[in-house]
Amino acid sequence: MRKNVWAFAKKEWPVAASLAIVLVVWQFISQTGIVRSFLLPAPTQIISAFQHSRVDWLSNTLVTLNEILVGFAVAVVIGISLAILISLSPLARKMVMPYIVVSQVLPTVAIAPIIYIILGFDNTSRVVLVLLISFFPIVLGTVTGLTDVDQNLIYLLKSLGAGKVKIFYKVRLPNSLPHMFVGLRIGITGATIGAVIAEFVSSNSGLGFLITTSLTNFDTTLSYVAIVILTFLGLVLYGAVELTGRLLMPWLRSR
Amino acid sequence: MKLGALVTLKDVSKSYQSITGDRIQAVKNISFQLDEGEVVALVGPSGCGKSTILRMIAGLEKPDSGAVEEVRSERFLIGYIFQDSSLMRWRTVYNNVKVPLEILGINKPERVQKMIDMVGLSGFEKQYPNELSGGMQRRVSIARALVHEPTVLLMDEPFTGVDEITKELLQTDLLYIIGGLGVTGVLVTHDVEEAVYLADRVLVMSAHPGTIIEEVRVPLPKTREPVMRTQEPFNLCCKEIRDKLHLLTPRRPETR
Ligand SMILES: Nc1ncnc2c1ncn2[C@@H]1O[C@H](COP(=O)(O)OP(=O)(O)O)[C@@H](O)[C@H]1O
Ligand SMILES: [Mg+2]
Repeated sequence: MRKNVWAFAKKEWPVAASLAIVLVVWQFISQTGIVRSFLLPAPTQIISAFQHSRVDWLSNTLVTLNEILVGFAVAVVIGISLAILISLSPLARKMVMPYIVVSQVLPTVAIAPIIYIILGFDNTSRVVLVLLISFFPIVLGTVTGLTDVDQNLIYLLKSLGAGKVKIFYKVRLPNSLPHMFVGLRIGITGATIGAVIAEFVSSNSGLGFLITTSLTNFDTTLSYVAIVILTFLGLVLYGAVELTGRLLMPWLRSR
Repeated sequence: MKLGALVTLKDVSKSYQSITGDRIQAVKNISFQLDEGEVVALVGPSGCGKSTILRMIAGLEKPDSGAVEEVRSERFLIGYIFQDSSLMRWRTVYNNVKVPLEILGINKPERVQKMIDMVGLSGFEKQYPNELSGGMQRRVSIARALVHEPTVLLMDEPFTGVDEITKELLQTDLLYIIGGLGVTGVLVTHDVEEAVYLADRVLVMSAHPGTIIEEVRVPLPKTREPVMRTQEPFNLCCKEIRDKLHLLTPRRPETR
Protein backbone atom coordinates (compact mmCIF):
# COMPACT_ATOMS: atom_id res chain seq x y z
CA MET A 1 0.00 0.00 0.00
CA ARG A 2 2.71 2.46 1.03
CA LYS A 3 4.61 1.39 -2.08
CA ASN A 4 1.56 2.24 -4.19
CA VAL A 5 1.27 5.68 -2.67
CA TRP A 6 4.94 6.30 -3.35
CA ALA A 7 4.61 5.12 -6.97
CA PHE A 8 1.56 7.34 -7.42
CA ALA A 9 3.38 10.34 -5.98
CA LYS A 10 6.36 9.66 -8.20
CA LYS A 11 4.16 9.52 -11.31
CA GLU A 12 1.74 12.34 -10.54
CA TRP A 13 3.99 14.92 -8.86
CA PRO A 14 3.90 17.27 -11.90
CA VAL A 15 0.15 17.72 -11.36
CA ALA A 16 0.66 18.75 -7.75
CA ALA A 17 3.63 20.93 -8.64
CA SER A 18 1.82 22.85 -11.37
CA LEU A 19 -1.19 23.36 -9.10
CA ALA A 20 1.10 24.73 -6.38
CA ILE A 21 2.74 27.11 -8.84
CA VAL A 22 -0.61 28.37 -10.13
CA LEU A 23 -1.86 28.98 -6.58
CA VAL A 24 1.32 30.81 -5.52
CA VAL A 25 1.32 33.05 -8.62
CA TRP A 26 -2.40 33.72 -8.17
CA GLN A 27 -1.90 34.66 -4.52
CA PHE A 28 1.01 36.93 -5.49
CA ILE A 29 -0.83 38.71 -8.31
CA SER A 30 -3.84 39.38 -6.11
CA GLN A 31 -2.01 40.32 -2.90
CA THR A 32 0.42 42.73 -4.56
CA GLY A 33 -2.49 44.43 -6.34
CA ILE A 34 -1.27 43.71 -9.88
CA VAL A 35 -4.90 42.74 -10.41
CA ARG A 36 -7.25 44.34 -7.90
CA SER A 37 -8.44 41.79 -5.37
CA PHE A 38 -12.01 42.94 -5.99
CA LEU A 39 -11.66 41.44 -9.48
CA LEU A 40 -9.44 38.52 -8.56
CA PRO A 41 -9.54 37.63 -4.87
CA ALA A 42 -6.55 35.66 -3.56
CA PRO A 43 -6.97 31.93 -2.83
CA THR A 44 -6.71 32.66 0.90
CA GLN A 45 -9.53 35.22 0.64
CA ILE A 46 -11.70 32.70 -1.16
CA ILE A 47 -11.09 30.09 1.51
CA SER A 48 -11.92 32.51 4.29
CA ALA A 49 -15.10 33.64 2.51
CA PHE A 50 -16.08 29.98 2.24
CA GLN A 51 -15.59 29.54 6.00
CA HIS A 52 -17.13 32.77 7.25
CA SER A 53 -19.99 33.72 4.94
CA ARG A 54 -23.53 32.89 6.05
CA VAL A 55 -24.28 31.03 2.81
CA ASP A 56 -25.32 27.38 3.16
CA TRP A 57 -22.85 25.95 0.66
CA LEU A 58 -23.83 22.35 1.16
CA SER A 59 -27.54 22.74 0.43
CA ASN A 60 -26.87 24.96 -2.60
CA THR A 61 -24.35 22.46 -3.94
CA LEU A 62 -26.88 19.67 -3.48
CA VAL A 63 -29.49 21.67 -5.41
CA THR A 64 -27.16 22.00 -8.41
CA LEU A 65 -25.90 18.42 -8.08
CA ASN A 66 -29.49 17.19 -8.12
CA GLU A 67 -30.25 19.08 -11.33
CA ILE A 68 -27.11 17.70 -12.96
CA LEU A 69 -27.67 14.10 -11.91
CA VAL A 70 -31.36 13.93 -12.80
CA GLY A 71 -30.82 15.71 -16.13
CA PHE A 72 -27.83 13.54 -16.98
CA ALA A 73 -29.60 10.31 -16.01
CA VAL A 74 -32.52 11.19 -18.28
CA ALA A 75 -30.02 12.16 -21.02
CA VAL A 76 -28.34 8.75 -20.73
CA VAL A 77 -31.62 6.88 -21.01
CA ILE A 78 -32.96 9.01 -23.89
CA GLY A 79 -29.56 9.24 -25.61
CA ILE A 80 -28.89 5.50 -25.62
CA SER A 81 -32.47 4.68 -26.63
CA LEU A 82 -32.33 7.11 -29.55
CA ALA A 83 -28.93 5.71 -30.56
CA ILE A 84 -30.28 2.16 -30.62
CA LEU A 85 -33.29 3.29 -32.65
CA ILE A 86 -31.11 5.19 -35.12
CA SER A 87 -28.63 2.34 -35.49
CA LEU A 88 -31.40 -0.19 -36.15
CA SER A 89 -33.37 1.72 -38.73
CA PRO A 90 -32.15 3.97 -41.55
CA LEU A 91 -35.69 5.36 -41.72
CA ALA A 92 -35.59 6.37 -38.05
CA ARG A 93 -32.17 7.91 -38.64
CA LYS A 94 -33.53 10.10 -41.43
CA MET A 95 -36.61 11.09 -39.47
CA VAL A 96 -35.08 11.73 -36.05
CA MET A 97 -31.53 12.88 -36.70
CA PRO A 98 -32.43 16.36 -38.09
CA TYR A 99 -34.28 17.28 -34.88
CA ILE A 100 -31.42 16.01 -32.75
CA VAL A 101 -29.01 18.21 -34.69
CA VAL A 102 -31.38 21.20 -34.54
CA SER A 103 -31.61 20.83 -30.76
CA GLN A 104 -27.85 21.31 -30.67
CA VAL A 105 -27.56 24.12 -33.18
CA LEU A 106 -30.04 26.20 -31.20
CA PRO A 107 -28.03 27.94 -28.47
CA THR A 108 -29.32 26.63 -25.15
CA VAL A 109 -29.10 30.10 -23.60
CA ALA A 110 -31.45 31.39 -26.27
CA ILE A 111 -34.15 28.79 -25.75
CA ALA A 112 -33.81 28.61 -21.96
CA PRO A 113 -36.38 31.38 -21.26
CA ILE A 114 -38.85 29.74 -23.66
CA ILE A 115 -38.43 26.41 -21.88
CA TYR A 116 -39.21 28.09 -18.58
CA ILE A 117 -42.31 29.66 -20.05
CA ILE A 118 -43.51 26.35 -21.45
CA LEU A 119 -42.61 24.01 -18.59
CA GLY A 120 -42.87 26.41 -15.68
CA PHE A 121 -40.34 28.16 -13.49
CA ASP A 122 -39.29 25.10 -11.52
CA ASN A 123 -36.88 22.21 -11.50
CA THR A 124 -38.41 20.46 -14.48
CA SER A 125 -37.19 23.21 -16.79
CA ARG A 126 -33.69 23.07 -15.32
CA VAL A 127 -33.55 19.30 -15.75
CA VAL A 128 -34.70 19.65 -19.35
CA LEU A 129 -31.96 22.22 -20.04
CA VAL A 130 -29.32 19.88 -18.57
CA LEU A 131 -30.73 17.08 -20.69
CA LEU A 132 -30.71 19.21 -23.86
CA ILE A 133 -27.00 19.97 -23.56
CA SER A 134 -25.80 16.54 -22.50
CA PHE A 135 -27.73 14.00 -24.57
CA PHE A 136 -26.25 14.86 -27.98
CA PRO A 137 -22.70 13.51 -27.49
CA ILE A 138 -24.19 10.40 -25.90
CA VAL A 139 -26.33 9.76 -28.99
CA LEU A 140 -23.45 10.37 -31.41
CA GLY A 141 -20.94 8.24 -29.49
CA THR A 142 -23.32 5.35 -29.03
CA VAL A 143 -24.48 5.35 -32.66
CA THR A 144 -20.86 5.23 -33.81
CA GLY A 145 -20.12 2.35 -31.46
CA LEU A 146 -23.19 0.39 -32.50
CA THR A 147 -22.60 0.77 -36.23
CA ASP A 148 -18.81 0.87 -36.58
CA VAL A 149 -18.45 -2.88 -36.09
CA ASP A 150 -15.96 -5.36 -37.56
CA GLN A 151 -17.99 -6.83 -40.45
CA ASN A 152 -16.19 -10.16 -40.07
CA LEU A 153 -17.58 -10.58 -36.57
CA ILE A 154 -21.05 -10.17 -37.97
CA TYR A 155 -20.27 -12.74 -40.68
CA LEU A 156 -18.92 -15.10 -38.04
CA LEU A 157 -22.06 -14.93 -35.93
CA LYS A 158 -24.37 -15.11 -38.93
CA SER A 159 -22.55 -18.17 -40.27
CA LEU A 160 -23.34 -19.83 -36.93
CA GLY A 161 -27.00 -18.97 -37.31
CA ALA A 162 -27.17 -15.96 -35.00
CA GLY A 163 -29.94 -13.45 -35.69
CA LYS A 164 -30.05 -9.66 -35.39
CA VAL A 165 -30.83 -9.71 -31.67
CA LYS A 166 -27.92 -11.98 -30.78
CA ILE A 167 -25.57 -9.95 -32.98
CA PHE A 168 -26.81 -6.84 -31.21
CA TYR A 169 -25.97 -7.88 -27.69
CA LYS A 170 -22.99 -10.09 -28.43
CA VAL A 171 -21.23 -7.70 -30.83
CA ARG A 172 -22.79 -4.27 -31.31
CA LEU A 173 -23.46 -3.44 -27.67
CA PRO A 174 -20.02 -4.34 -26.23
CA ASN A 175 -18.41 -2.78 -29.29
CA SER A 176 -20.25 0.47 -28.57
CA LEU A 177 -19.05 0.86 -24.97
CA PRO A 178 -15.79 2.78 -25.58
CA HIS A 179 -17.55 5.19 -27.99
CA MET A 180 -20.53 5.50 -25.65
CA PHE A 181 -18.21 6.51 -22.84
CA VAL A 182 -16.57 9.21 -24.94
CA GLY A 183 -20.09 10.60 -25.30
CA LEU A 184 -20.81 10.19 -21.59
CA ARG A 185 -17.62 12.04 -20.61
CA ILE A 186 -18.50 14.97 -22.88
CA GLY A 187 -22.13 14.74 -21.74
CA ILE A 188 -21.36 15.03 -18.03
CA THR A 189 -19.33 18.22 -18.55
CA GLY A 190 -22.22 19.57 -20.63
CA ALA A 191 -24.65 18.69 -17.86
CA THR A 192 -22.78 20.92 -15.39
CA ILE A 193 -22.84 23.79 -17.87
CA GLY A 194 -26.54 23.23 -18.49
CA ALA A 195 -27.41 23.38 -14.79
CA VAL A 196 -25.53 26.66 -14.32
CA ILE A 197 -27.09 28.26 -17.40
CA ALA A 198 -30.52 27.16 -16.20
CA GLU A 199 -29.90 28.74 -12.79
CA PHE A 200 -28.59 31.94 -14.39
CA VAL A 201 -31.85 32.33 -16.26
CA SER A 202 -34.15 31.55 -13.35
CA SER A 203 -33.63 30.07 -9.89
CA ASN A 204 -33.71 30.79 -6.19
CA SER A 205 -30.97 28.42 -5.04
CA GLY A 206 -27.97 26.53 -6.38
CA LEU A 207 -24.38 27.42 -7.18
CA GLY A 208 -25.31 29.22 -10.42
CA PHE A 209 -27.87 31.24 -8.45
CA LEU A 210 -25.17 32.15 -5.89
CA ILE A 211 -22.84 33.36 -8.67
CA THR A 212 -25.45 35.73 -10.15
CA THR A 213 -26.74 37.05 -6.81
CA SER A 214 -23.30 37.65 -5.30
CA LEU A 215 -22.24 39.49 -8.47
CA THR A 216 -25.29 41.77 -8.36
CA ASN A 217 -24.29 42.48 -4.74
CA PHE A 218 -20.72 43.24 -5.89
CA ASP A 219 -19.47 40.43 -3.69
CA THR A 220 -17.05 38.86 -6.18
CA THR A 221 -15.32 36.72 -3.57
CA LEU A 222 -18.53 34.81 -2.89
CA SER A 223 -19.04 34.09 -6.57
CA TYR A 224 -15.46 32.79 -6.70
CA VAL A 225 -16.27 30.36 -3.90
CA ALA A 226 -19.23 29.09 -5.91
CA ILE A 227 -17.05 28.75 -9.01
CA VAL A 228 -14.41 26.76 -7.12
CA ILE A 229 -17.07 24.43 -5.71
CA LEU A 230 -18.54 24.02 -9.22
CA THR A 231 -15.10 23.14 -10.51
CA PHE A 232 -14.66 20.44 -7.87
CA LEU A 233 -18.15 19.17 -8.55
CA GLY A 234 -17.45 18.97 -12.28
CA LEU A 235 -14.16 17.13 -11.70
CA VAL A 236 -15.72 14.61 -9.33
CA LEU A 237 -18.58 13.89 -11.73
CA TYR A 238 -16.20 13.51 -14.66
CA GLY A 239 -14.01 11.22 -12.58
CA ALA A 240 -17.01 9.11 -11.62
CA VAL A 241 -17.95 8.61 -15.28
CA GLU A 242 -14.33 7.81 -16.14
CA LEU A 243 -14.10 5.29 -13.29
CA THR A 244 -17.36 3.60 -14.31
CA GLY A 245 -15.93 3.27 -17.80
CA ARG A 246 -12.78 1.63 -16.54
CA LEU A 247 -14.73 -0.82 -14.44
CA LEU A 248 -17.00 -1.76 -17.35
CA MET A 249 -14.16 -2.03 -19.88
CA PRO A 250 -11.28 -3.90 -18.25
CA TRP A 251 -9.85 -4.72 -21.70
CA LEU A 252 -8.90 -1.08 -22.22
CA ARG A 253 -6.76 -1.09 -19.08
CA SER A 254 -4.30 -3.65 -20.41
CA ARG A 255 -1.42 -2.29 -22.52
CA MET B 1 -10.61 -44.08 -48.38
CA LYS B 2 -13.05 -42.35 -50.70
CA LEU B 3 -15.47 -40.06 -48.96
CA GLY B 4 -18.35 -38.08 -50.36
CA ALA B 5 -18.68 -34.42 -51.30
CA LEU B 6 -19.52 -32.07 -48.46
CA VAL B 7 -19.97 -28.99 -50.64
CA THR B 8 -20.61 -28.74 -54.34
CA LEU B 9 -20.63 -25.48 -56.29
CA LYS B 10 -22.43 -25.79 -59.61
CA ASP B 11 -21.87 -23.07 -62.16
CA VAL B 12 -22.08 -20.35 -59.56
CA SER B 13 -22.10 -16.67 -60.60
CA LYS B 14 -22.41 -13.60 -58.43
CA SER B 15 -22.37 -9.89 -59.20
CA TYR B 16 -22.53 -6.80 -57.02
CA GLN B 17 -23.94 -3.35 -57.48
CA SER B 18 -21.09 -0.86 -57.26
CA ILE B 19 -21.49 2.55 -55.65
CA THR B 20 -21.59 4.17 -59.10
CA GLY B 21 -24.55 1.95 -59.97
CA ASP B 22 -23.15 -0.49 -62.51
CA ARG B 23 -22.87 -4.18 -61.81
CA ILE B 24 -19.54 -5.83 -61.07
CA GLN B 25 -19.26 -9.49 -61.95
CA ALA B 26 -17.48 -10.82 -58.85
CA VAL B 27 -17.36 -14.49 -59.85
CA LYS B 28 -18.54 -16.33 -62.96
CA ASN B 29 -19.29 -20.00 -63.63
CA ILE B 30 -17.53 -21.41 -60.60
CA SER B 31 -17.81 -25.17 -60.23
CA PHE B 32 -15.94 -27.37 -57.81
CA GLN B 33 -16.50 -30.01 -55.23
CA LEU B 34 -15.13 -30.25 -51.73
CA ASP B 35 -14.69 -33.81 -50.51
CA GLU B 36 -14.66 -34.82 -46.90
CA GLY B 37 -11.19 -34.69 -45.39
CA GLU B 38 -9.53 -32.62 -48.10
CA VAL B 39 -8.23 -29.07 -48.13
CA VAL B 40 -8.78 -27.10 -51.32
CA ALA B 41 -6.99 -23.82 -51.92
CA LEU B 42 -8.29 -20.95 -54.03
CA VAL B 43 -5.39 -18.90 -55.34
CA GLY B 44 -5.72 -15.76 -57.37
CA PRO B 45 -5.10 -12.03 -57.50
CA SER B 46 -7.04 -9.82 -55.13
CA GLY B 47 -10.50 -8.98 -56.37
CA CYS B 48 -11.00 -12.30 -58.18
CA GLY B 49 -13.85 -13.23 -55.88
CA LYS B 50 -12.20 -15.58 -53.39
CA SER B 51 -13.89 -14.09 -50.32
CA THR B 52 -17.19 -14.00 -52.20
CA ILE B 53 -16.97 -17.75 -52.79
CA LEU B 54 -16.34 -18.37 -49.08
CA ARG B 55 -19.30 -16.18 -48.11
CA MET B 56 -21.54 -18.16 -50.44
CA ILE B 57 -20.36 -21.47 -48.97
CA ALA B 58 -21.05 -20.03 -45.50
CA GLY B 59 -24.57 -19.17 -46.61
CA LEU B 60 -23.99 -15.46 -46.03
CA GLU B 61 -24.77 -14.65 -49.65
CA LYS B 62 -26.87 -16.23 -52.36
CA PRO B 63 -25.49 -16.78 -55.86
CA ASP B 64 -27.25 -14.98 -58.74
CA SER B 65 -27.27 -18.22 -60.70
CA GLY B 66 -26.03 -21.74 -60.15
CA ALA B 67 -26.18 -23.54 -56.84
CA VAL B 68 -24.19 -24.15 -53.69
CA GLU B 69 -25.17 -27.58 -52.41
CA GLU B 70 -24.20 -28.78 -48.99
CA VAL B 71 -24.42 -32.28 -47.61
CA ARG B 72 -27.56 -32.54 -45.49
CA SER B 73 -26.14 -33.97 -42.33
CA GLU B 74 -28.05 -33.17 -39.16
CA ARG B 75 -25.69 -30.31 -38.53
CA PHE B 76 -23.64 -28.56 -41.18
CA LEU B 77 -21.39 -26.21 -39.27
CA ILE B 78 -19.02 -23.56 -40.56
CA GLY B 79 -15.68 -22.59 -39.01
CA TYR B 80 -14.33 -19.24 -40.17
CA ILE B 81 -10.84 -17.73 -40.00
CA PHE B 82 -10.49 -14.15 -41.20
CA GLN B 83 -7.58 -12.17 -42.53
CA ASP B 84 -7.16 -9.97 -39.46
CA SER B 85 -8.15 -12.38 -36.66
CA SER B 86 -11.34 -10.39 -36.00
CA LEU B 87 -11.40 -11.15 -32.29
CA MET B 88 -13.74 -9.49 -29.82
CA ARG B 89 -11.54 -6.90 -28.10
CA TRP B 90 -13.76 -7.01 -25.03
CA ARG B 91 -13.39 -10.73 -24.43
CA THR B 92 -10.50 -12.70 -23.01
CA VAL B 93 -8.79 -15.42 -25.04
CA TYR B 94 -10.92 -18.07 -23.33
CA ASN B 95 -14.18 -16.22 -23.95
CA ASN B 96 -13.24 -15.49 -27.56
CA VAL B 97 -12.66 -19.17 -28.26
CA LYS B 98 -15.98 -19.96 -26.57
CA VAL B 99 -18.06 -17.74 -28.92
CA PRO B 100 -19.23 -20.44 -31.40
CA LEU B 101 -20.30 -22.77 -28.58
CA GLU B 102 -22.22 -19.90 -27.00
CA ILE B 103 -24.01 -19.04 -30.23
CA LEU B 104 -24.84 -22.67 -30.98
CA GLY B 105 -25.89 -23.35 -27.39
CA ILE B 106 -23.38 -26.17 -26.94
CA ASN B 107 -22.34 -26.62 -23.33
CA LYS B 108 -18.92 -28.27 -23.61
CA PRO B 109 -16.36 -26.05 -21.88
CA GLU B 110 -13.72 -28.81 -22.05
CA ARG B 111 -13.52 -28.22 -25.81
CA VAL B 112 -12.51 -24.61 -25.26
CA GLN B 113 -9.53 -25.59 -23.13
CA LYS B 114 -8.61 -28.39 -25.53
CA MET B 115 -8.45 -25.96 -28.47
CA ILE B 116 -6.50 -23.38 -26.50
CA ASP B 117 -3.96 -26.05 -25.58
CA MET B 118 -3.86 -27.29 -29.16
CA VAL B 119 -2.95 -23.88 -30.61
CA GLY B 120 -0.31 -23.44 -27.91
CA LEU B 121 -1.94 -20.69 -25.85
CA SER B 122 -2.17 -22.47 -22.49
CA GLY B 123 -1.61 -19.91 -19.77
CA PHE B 124 -2.99 -17.03 -21.87
CA GLU B 125 -6.67 -17.78 -21.25
CA LYS B 126 -7.29 -14.63 -19.22
CA GLN B 127 -5.43 -12.22 -21.52
CA TYR B 128 -7.23 -9.75 -23.76
CA PRO B 129 -6.48 -9.65 -27.51
CA ASN B 130 -4.63 -6.34 -27.27
CA GLU B 131 -2.17 -8.00 -24.89
CA LEU B 132 -1.22 -10.58 -27.53
CA SER B 133 1.12 -10.45 -30.52
CA GLY B 134 -0.36 -10.63 -34.01
CA GLY B 135 0.71 -14.26 -34.32
CA MET B 136 -0.94 -15.20 -31.03
CA GLN B 137 -4.14 -13.45 -32.11
CA ARG B 138 -4.18 -15.68 -35.22
CA ARG B 139 -3.85 -18.69 -32.93
CA VAL B 140 -6.91 -17.56 -30.98
CA SER B 141 -8.87 -17.21 -34.20
CA ILE B 142 -7.82 -20.73 -35.27
CA ALA B 143 -8.98 -22.14 -31.93
CA ARG B 144 -12.27 -20.24 -32.22
CA ALA B 145 -12.83 -21.55 -35.75
CA LEU B 146 -12.49 -25.19 -34.70
CA VAL B 147 -13.97 -25.32 -31.20
CA HIS B 148 -17.41 -26.37 -32.39
CA GLU B 149 -15.99 -29.12 -34.64
CA PRO B 150 -17.21 -27.56 -37.89
CA THR B 151 -18.06 -29.61 -40.95
CA VAL B 152 -16.09 -27.20 -43.14
CA LEU B 153 -13.34 -24.77 -42.16
CA LEU B 154 -13.21 -21.59 -44.25
CA MET B 155 -9.87 -19.76 -44.17
CA ASP B 156 -9.81 -16.31 -45.75
CA GLU B 157 -6.16 -15.31 -46.09
CA PRO B 158 -5.49 -16.52 -42.56
CA PHE B 159 -1.88 -15.34 -42.40
CA THR B 160 -1.81 -12.18 -44.49
CA GLY B 161 0.06 -9.49 -42.64
CA VAL B 162 2.04 -11.83 -40.39
CA ASP B 163 5.82 -11.69 -40.61
CA GLU B 164 7.40 -14.50 -42.67
CA ILE B 165 8.93 -16.48 -39.81
CA THR B 166 5.79 -16.43 -37.64
CA LYS B 167 3.75 -17.25 -40.73
CA GLU B 168 5.71 -20.42 -41.50
CA LEU B 169 5.42 -21.56 -37.89
CA LEU B 170 1.68 -20.88 -37.89
CA GLN B 171 1.25 -22.73 -41.19
CA THR B 172 3.00 -25.81 -39.84
CA ASP B 173 0.95 -25.71 -36.64
CA LEU B 174 -2.27 -25.27 -38.61
CA LEU B 175 -1.33 -28.26 -40.79
CA TYR B 176 -0.77 -30.34 -37.69
CA ILE B 177 -4.09 -29.31 -36.16
CA ILE B 178 -6.05 -29.82 -39.38
CA GLY B 179 -4.41 -33.21 -39.90
CA GLY B 180 -5.04 -34.29 -36.33
CA LEU B 181 -8.72 -33.36 -36.40
CA GLY B 182 -9.30 -34.49 -39.99
CA VAL B 183 -10.66 -31.09 -40.95
CA THR B 184 -12.20 -30.41 -44.35
CA GLY B 185 -11.32 -26.91 -45.47
CA VAL B 186 -11.23 -24.23 -48.10
CA LEU B 187 -8.18 -21.99 -47.99
CA VAL B 188 -8.23 -18.65 -49.76
CA THR B 189 -4.85 -17.04 -50.32
CA HIS B 190 -2.72 -15.12 -52.77
CA ASP B 191 0.37 -16.84 -51.41
CA VAL B 192 1.34 -19.66 -53.78
CA GLU B 193 3.67 -21.41 -51.29
CA GLU B 194 1.00 -21.31 -48.61
CA ALA B 195 -1.52 -22.92 -50.95
CA VAL B 196 0.84 -25.73 -51.94
CA TYR B 197 2.00 -26.32 -48.36
CA LEU B 198 -1.50 -26.50 -46.84
CA ALA B 199 -3.76 -27.84 -49.59
CA ASP B 200 -4.35 -31.10 -51.41
CA ARG B 201 -5.70 -29.34 -54.48
CA VAL B 202 -5.16 -25.81 -55.70
CA LEU B 203 -7.74 -24.02 -57.82
CA VAL B 204 -6.06 -21.23 -59.75
CA MET B 205 -8.26 -18.21 -60.41
CA SER B 206 -8.15 -15.20 -62.68
CA ALA B 207 -9.90 -11.89 -62.13
CA HIS B 208 -12.46 -9.75 -64.00
CA PRO B 209 -14.55 -11.77 -63.87
CA GLY B 210 -13.37 -14.26 -61.26
CA THR B 211 -13.20 -17.73 -62.70
CA ILE B 212 -11.28 -20.92 -62.01
CA ILE B 213 -8.78 -21.34 -64.82
CA GLU B 214 -6.96 -24.45 -63.66
CA GLU B 215 -6.86 -27.16 -61.05
CA VAL B 216 -3.47 -28.34 -59.77
CA ARG B 217 -3.10 -31.43 -57.59
CA VAL B 218 -0.35 -31.07 -55.03
CA PRO B 219 2.01 -34.04 -55.47
CA LEU B 220 2.91 -34.29 -51.80
CA PRO B 221 1.92 -36.85 -49.17
CA LYS B 222 -1.06 -35.93 -46.98
CA THR B 223 1.23 -35.56 -43.98
CA ARG B 224 3.47 -32.61 -44.74
CA GLU B 225 6.83 -31.82 -43.16
CA PRO B 226 8.33 -28.33 -43.12
CA VAL B 227 11.41 -29.56 -44.94
CA MET B 228 9.29 -30.42 -47.98
CA ARG B 229 9.04 -26.70 -48.68
CA THR B 230 12.64 -26.79 -49.83
CA GLN B 231 12.34 -29.86 -52.02
CA GLU B 232 11.87 -30.44 -55.73
CA PRO B 233 8.20 -31.55 -55.91
CA PHE B 234 7.07 -28.58 -53.82
CA ASN B 235 9.01 -26.12 -55.89
CA LEU B 236 7.86 -27.60 -59.17
CA CYS B 237 4.26 -27.40 -58.03
CA CYS B 238 4.68 -23.74 -57.06
CA LYS B 239 6.27 -23.09 -60.42
CA GLU B 240 3.37 -24.68 -62.23
CA ILE B 241 0.88 -22.48 -60.34
CA ARG B 242 2.95 -19.35 -60.93
CA ASP B 243 2.94 -20.21 -64.62
CA LYS B 244 -0.87 -20.54 -64.66
CA LEU B 245 -1.07 -17.14 -62.97
CA HIS B 246 1.13 -15.77 -65.80
CA LEU B 247 3.75 -14.73 -63.33
CA LEU B 248 6.58 -16.30 -65.30
CA THR B 249 5.88 -14.49 -68.55
CA PRO B 250 8.15 -11.54 -69.32
CA ARG B 251 6.17 -8.32 -69.61
CA ARG B 252 6.42 -4.59 -69.82
CA PRO B 253 4.95 -2.43 -67.13
CA GLU B 254 1.50 -1.43 -68.26
CA THR B 255 -1.47 0.20 -66.72
CA ARG B 256 -4.52 -1.98 -66.08
N1 LIG C 1 -20.37 -6.25 -50.80
C1 LIG C 1 -19.85 -5.90 -52.00
N2 LIG C 1 -20.38 -4.85 -52.69
C2 LIG C 1 -19.86 -4.49 -53.87
N3 LIG C 1 -18.83 -5.12 -54.48
C3 LIG C 1 -18.27 -6.17 -53.86
C4 LIG C 1 -18.74 -6.61 -52.58
N4 LIG C 1 -18.00 -7.67 -52.19
C5 LIG C 1 -17.11 -7.88 -53.18
N5 LIG C 1 -17.27 -6.99 -54.19
C6 LIG C 1 -16.49 -6.94 -55.44
O1 LIG C 1 -16.43 -8.24 -55.94
C7 LIG C 1 -15.14 -8.54 -56.41
C8 LIG C 1 -14.58 -9.75 -55.68
O2 LIG C 1 -14.36 -9.41 -54.31
P1 LIG C 1 -13.73 -10.42 -53.27
O3 LIG C 1 -14.55 -11.65 -53.20
O4 LIG C 1 -13.55 -9.67 -52.00
O5 LIG C 1 -12.32 -10.74 -53.90
P2 LIG C 1 -10.99 -11.33 -53.23
O6 LIG C 1 -11.37 -11.91 -51.90
O7 LIG C 1 -10.50 -12.37 -54.19
O8 LIG C 1 -10.01 -10.23 -53.11
C9 LIG C 1 -14.31 -7.28 -56.22
O9 LIG C 1 -14.28 -6.57 -57.44
C10 LIG C 1 -15.07 -6.53 -55.19
O10 LIG C 1 -14.89 -5.14 -55.35
MG1 LIG D 1 -10.68 -11.33 -49.97
